[in-house]
Amino acid sequence: MNKITVEGIRQNMDEIIERWIKTMKEEKGERFFHFMPDHLIEKTSREFAELMTSNIDESDAASTEKINDFTEKVVRFGWAIKFVNKAIDNFSDIVFELLEEKHIINDANFKSFNQLFKNWINPLRESIIDAYSTEWERTVSLQKIALQELSASLIPVFEKISVMPLVGTIDTERAKLIMENLLEGVVSQRAEVVLLDITGVPVVDTMVAHHIIQAADAVRLVGAKCMLVGIRPEIAQTIVALGINLHEFTTKSTLQKGMQAALGLTNRAIVEVEEQ
Amino acid sequence: MKRSSVEIITEWDIVAARQLGRNEAKKAGFGTVDQARITTAISELARNIYLYAGKGRIEIERVTDGGKDGIKVVASDEGPGIPDLRKVMEDGFSTSGGLGAGMPGVKRLMDEFKVISEPNNGTTITATKWLH
Amino acid sequence: MKTRIPILKLNDVLIVSIQWELDDQTAIQFQEDLLNKMHETAALGVVIDLTPIDFIDSFIAKVLGDVINMTGLMGAKVVITGIQPAVAITLIELGIRLNNVMTALDLENGLDKLNKELEA
Ligand SMILES: Nc1ncnc2c1ncn2[C@@H]1O[C@H](COP(=O)(O)OP(=O)(O)OP(=O)(O)O)[C@@H](O)[C@H]1O
Ligand SMILES: [Mg+2]
Repeated sequence: MNKITVEGIRQNMDEIIERWIKTMKEEKGERFFHFMPDHLIEKTSREFAELMTSNIDESDAASTEKINDFTEKVVRFGWAIKFVNKAIDNFSDIVFELLEEKHIINDANFKSFNQLFKNWINPLRESIIDAYSTEWERTVSLQKIALQELSASLIPVFEKISVMPLVGTIDTERAKLIMENLLEGVVSQRAEVVLLDITGVPVVDTMVAHHIIQAADAVRLVGAKCMLVGIRPEIAQTIVALGINLHEFTTKSTLQKGMQAALGLTNRAIVEVEEQ
Repeated sequence: MKRSSVEIITEWDIVAARQLGRNEAKKAGFGTVDQARITTAISELARNIYLYAGKGRIEIERVTDGGKDGIKVVASDEGPGIPDLRKVMEDGFSTSGGLGAGMPGVKRLMDEFKVISEPNNGTTITATKWLH
Repeated sequence: MKTRIPILKLNDVLIVSIQWELDDQTAIQFQEDLLNKMHETAALGVVIDLTPIDFIDSFIAKVLGDVINMTGLMGAKVVITGIQPAVAITLIELGIRLNNVMTALDLENGLDKLNKELEA
């Protein structure tokens, strides 16, 4: 960036910030400028302005290090990406406007200034978008892991009887994980009957049913019996409506009923003991 | 990328091919279930070569794609080819009294599956499994 | 190279423990040996333990399925034990369900199951 521009921005910093805050307050969608006390707004805005201008110096090429620094700090403001984008837009508009008013920018050098601005703003914007999307990807994959951890554990309830409660939507990837955990669990817990509880599964379509049937079949191969419990009336309706055939394995409406049946299969029962 | 292969000529080569597959899968970091999937798929493809084409080869290659690692199995032969690809992908279709589980099974066991076959011009089957 | 799978007899029951990877020849030899032994001993049941086996392809599955059906024809019952989770999953994905076979977690459970079945 050329010297005159840098000087122009530095000298008019207060004015730029003031106008910028005013414009930002008119933007909808971000609570920050409406609910924060004024001195905090002032402080953050000054910080933002400094970050915005930190990669401006006499050299033309923006330094990666400064851009990374900018991005890292701006992300920490916790603003929505749309708002950050607006903030950058408004900031560069205001700077341009002001430099025009001060006659630093005129018709003659307009073109080269335009290029100058592009070289200044674009890397910042790209870096911000990059940082936000990386963050989203990370969040999505963390949530995926969290979901997987949440709902695929086999719980040994009694000797020879284990329960796996399924919660949430089942896609192909989760189905595979469920199957693996189920079988490993059956073998390590030496379960003879496992109850697959689908109370927490919102929709049972043909795909989900198919995975459940496969899981039950695999459980039989390792030497145990699989029972499907927690079938709500609406699930029963869709299963029949879709023509899914669950005849081959035992189903029960509730976990309690399933547990009683499982105890029966392993030659046991719960008996009430009379009080003394 | 690293690549190894086994010529399928005798029945014993089927065993060699799947052992190679299991070792490669293990080295690539696949868990026990995926190891079994890959080994089984190779066994199916190698046996089909032995039974229907007489001879051919199994190549096993470590691959990467956009940060994903995986294992690619290529089974190729210069045998009679497969006249009706749609039929052989149906469960239970066999011309040899087998279960007819091989081809559709391999497709399910692996993540990607592609068959190129022409009558009298041999068959090339490519199947890939990705590390998740 | 010919390896044979040992077949043990315990009362009315034959016990087979498959200890290493089955190649095609061994599998077919086993089928023959088992049927002969059944005939010789008039055994009422068979337990086949697959604990050490880490994969089964469609060929071996067919041999096993045939063994089970043939044993049934000879009036005996079969229990398969010790199928590993990874093996069960690949079998299911291959589309092989081994529908009409009894299974158990291990040899001990398998013998229990078989004896109960034979008593009934
Ligand atoms: N490499 C090949 N060349 C020619 N024909 C093939 C080849 N591979 C498969 N086929 C044909 O496709 C059919 C289906 O193969 P698939 O592996 O699905 O079943 P199978 O080999 O008959 O039985 P299984 O694999 O269950 O023991 C075979 O019967 C054979 O006719
Ligand atoms: Mg085959």
